[in-house]
Amino acid sequence: MLTDIWYRLQAIFRRDRLDTDLDEELRWHLEHEMEKYLRSGIPEDEAKRRARLALGGIPQVSEQCRNSRGISALTELWQDIRYGFRVLRKSPALTSVAIISLALGIGANTTAFSVVNSLILRPLPFPSSERLVFIQPAKGTTHSFPNYRDLRDRNNVFSGVAGYRVTVMGLDTGGSSQRIWGYLATGNYFEVLSATPLLGRFFGPAEDRVRGGSPYAVLSYGCWKTRFGGDPGIVGRTIHLNGLAYSVLGVAAKGFQGTELFYWPEVWVPMSMQAQIESFSWLDEPATFNTMLFGRLKDGITGREAEARMKPIAADLAKERPRWNDGLQFKLARLGLVGDTIRGPVAAFTTGVLLLAGLVLLAACANLASLLAARTADRHKELAVRMSLGAGRGRIARQLMTESLILACAGGIAACGLSVFLLRLLSQWRAPLDFPVRFNVEPDWRVFLFTCIVSISSGLLFGLVPAQRAWRTNPNPALKGMPAGSSRKWALRDLLLPVQVTLCCLLVMSSLVALRGLQRALEIPLGFEPAGVAVAGFDLGLARYKKPQGQAFQRAILDEVARMPGVTAAAFANSVPLSIDQSSMSVFPEEVTDSRPSARIDTTVYEVSPGYFRTMGTGLLSGRDFSWQDDEKSPRIAVINEILARKLFGRTDVAGRRFRGPGGLTEIVGVVQSGKYVSLTEEPRAALFRTATQTYDGTTVVIARTSAPESQTAGGLRRVVATRDPTLAVQGVGSMSQMLGFAYFPARAATVALSVFGMLAIMLAATGIYGTAAYAISRRRREIGIRMAIGAQPRQILRVVLGRTFALLLAGSIAGFFLGLAADPLLASVVYQASPNDPWVMVAVPLAMAAVALLAASGPARRALKIDPIYALRQE
Amino acid sequence: MDQKRLELPQGTLDLLILKTLAIQPLHGWAVSERLQQVSTAALQIGQGSLYPALHRLERRGWIKATWGASDNNRRAKFYELTRTGRKQLEIDTEEWRRLTVVVGQVLDMA
Repeated sequence: MLTDIWYRLQAIFRRDRLDTDLDEELRWHLEHEMEKYLRSGIPEDEAKRRARLALGGIPQVSEQCRNSRGISALTELWQDIRYGFRVLRKSPALTSVAIISLALGIGANTTAFSVVNSLILRPLPFPSSERLVFIQPAKGTTHSFPNYRDLRDRNNVFSGVAGYRVTVMGLDTGGSSQRIWGYLATGNYFEVLSATPLLGRFFGPAEDRVRGGSPYAVLSYGCWKTRFGGDPGIVGRTIHLNGLAYSVLGVAAKGFQGTELFYWPEVWVPMSMQAQIESFSWLDEPATFNTMLFGRLKDGITGREAEARMKPIAADLAKERPRWNDGLQFKLARLGLVGDTIRGPVAAFTTGVLLLAGLVLLAACANLASLLAARTADRHKELAVRMSLGAGRGRIARQLMTESLILACAGGIAACGLSVFLLRLLSQWRAPLDFPVRFNVEPDWRVFLFTCIVSISSGLLFGLVPAQRAWRTNPNPALKGMPAGSSRKWALRDLLLPVQVTLCCLLVMSSLVALRGLQRALEIPLGFEPAGVAVAGFDLGLARYKKPQGQAFQRAILDEVARMPGVTAAAFANSVPLSIDQSSMSVFPEEVTDSRPSARIDTTVYEVSPGYFRTMGTGLLSGRDFSWQDDEKSPRIAVINEILARKLFGRTDVAGRRFRGPGGLTEIVGVVQSGKYVSLTEEPRAALFRTATQTYDGTTVVIARTSAPESQTAGGLRRVVATRDPTLAVQGVGSMSQMLGFAYFPARAATVALSVFGMLAIMLAATGIYGTAAYAISRRRREIGIRMAIGAQPRQILRVVLGRTFALLLAGSIAGFFLGLAADPLLASVVYQASPNDPWVMVAVPLAMAAVALLAASGPARRALKIDPIYALRQE
Repeated sequence: MDQKRLELPQGTLDLLILKTLAIQPLHGWAVSERLQQVSTAALQIGQGSLYPALHRLERRGWIKATWGASDNNRRAKFYELTRTGRKQLEIDTEEWRRLTVVVGQVLDMA
């Protein structure tokens, strides 16, 4: 066995030496054989001839000996590869078109797969991460803290349950306070994850015992590097968060960003410091649901078992605190994408993109298959010569397959480069907010393996067609100089064009549908007018303003902003719709006094200044806006939106009526038009506006409607705030449309992806049609010449030669159209408001395909008509 | 000799070569001569098929080749049997004998 391998290695690496030895050995044989004949008296020439006859020709015997070396497969492969390179170099146009379309097709798949891999497939970077689960309530994503404590203490399925909350804090940086985002985490957070720090240590349960007295912090790697310059002595240093001193216990490892894949916090702080970080304490509040939970399952317990065993705990909690826990459930979901809430849409979107990329690649393969098959027909003379010299059909087919695989590998390598570049760009994209969202979609070994498999499969797929053609080549007609042609009417190859066209149709339909969907999404009434509005935000609570000073500050800023040139209306609020900062509370009708969940209405709540609705452009349907006269001494009032009015009373003219709101019985002074509050794709939602004169919130967004350019006004807003308090950090400054960018992101991303695919599909289809038409014409050049010579009209010639091509085109378009209709549900899940039954799309797609076909085939068609009959007849 | 030369069944050439080399190391031409002598030229062994077989046997480690000096002091490639080759020869010989016995039995059926 070893001897065998050793021999074969020698055959590869010391080939020349072996060949010389072989030659010498055979010559030696010849000499001795000759001597034998000489000795028996035969003359020298005759002796030489007989010796040669006995042995056989030296080249033939050498060839056989070389074959027995056991490396013929390898040698032949190497020969095929070198020959393939030569052939491909000779037709640079075809080769570059092939590599480019493969690079695009495979690259799209690689990029899409890498996104799927990073977000859905890759396990979290914690030990035994498959045991980590996100604990989700029946509705929403968060639990109350008392529920957390009870679940943690009463369960027997988790080795640990921890809670966390996304929160913003003010970091003191030399006099001014900067907003940084982080986590409030229970003491066992790092323990349950089994994470290891880079420097120092993490805080544990011991450091989370004393409410308000656990001032410890763990920094993220990024925070340590950018804000503290990677200071090696950071452990033990003190930082100031919201005015209090916290001791830095350690730094997390590079790439560790906690329990949510999209969110990259800068600091972790023990949960017992919650009241110090946020302005109100809810750790003992059963009515406040602010904590996200996750746990590590004990060994041997499955998710389903755990869910079953948590059912009695939920039932007990519902009995103990029925007011808030009625209908409580604990479900398990994978950790990392806020349980199932964004996991679903993300998985659907990324898989959809991957499928589309697959379709594009298929189209590229079909394209290449037909182009290469056409070229094989052109090479029939070369192949015929090889066959008659002794190459077997298998060898020739293998040769062509090798060429295809070379193209596929080249395309795959180019695709890798392309997608690494794209993925790096994607990973570095930052959302246009100060909330730290990042997608880490860098490729890992799984992605490269995927690329290899896809490349080789593509190569085999489109390589089959020319290889099969070569297999069928009959050398005789070729050598006689006759053109190649198959006697059959319809070959399998003819399927390729319709397949390409179908795929193109499908992809173009998807793009158009998506574009229409986005257009419609952009036209949805938002409930306010974002054009011409500038905003700027700051947080007085983080800057440690007390309520009276805060209120005075807000009023003063508002007055100054209203006086700015160009500003037609100004107001402030604690948050604006469709921004990242949304709060919701429950309200009840007036007559309901026991707060039972069945009468509960979940409402988005805002605290706004008088003049808000005018500034935002929100229409007032009945009643009035707030005024500065409504202050804390007046009865509690609110403005509600149309949806809430209908839910409470069934009508909208309800000014003067009352309901039970967050602060108690509240009187309605006005009803405004409904709009979008949390996301563009939400169902109609109730909204409630309280007046800032009665409910103070330090978080402030200043809103100014202006006739000047928004960026100018936004800069002015920043200046006004800075003049009044230079240490106050201002963020989220810009036009309202900019701020809305994040809300439109999913729809935009989907549209970009689909448009790119649509364009790729069109390009591929056009090249395919062009190639097929050109080939059809070149094959029948002589025939065209004859027809023209005997007087055929241009139209007749075109009909004869291109008729088949167009028939195939038509078949493909029809198939693609109906497939697109069938794929409607899938599209609808990806793109909001998408529907291919849109009449505009139904007209545009066939028109587009017809236009592409005509354009692509026009070149060859024109050439066909210009053929000089005499010249054509003389050819071949 | 007018009798038609017998064609070798597949694989038997290897057996014959091994046996020839078992007696003494030889170079390629000598093996060919010896086979011709012993079989009194009744076997149809193309000299050209000898060399691929020798190389194949060398690859499988049953014979090994050394370059030595021949009569008239020129370089010649000598082949000799290895230990594994010797074992293989025994196995193959045994198999051949059994095969011929069985085939003979079948042919002797009345």
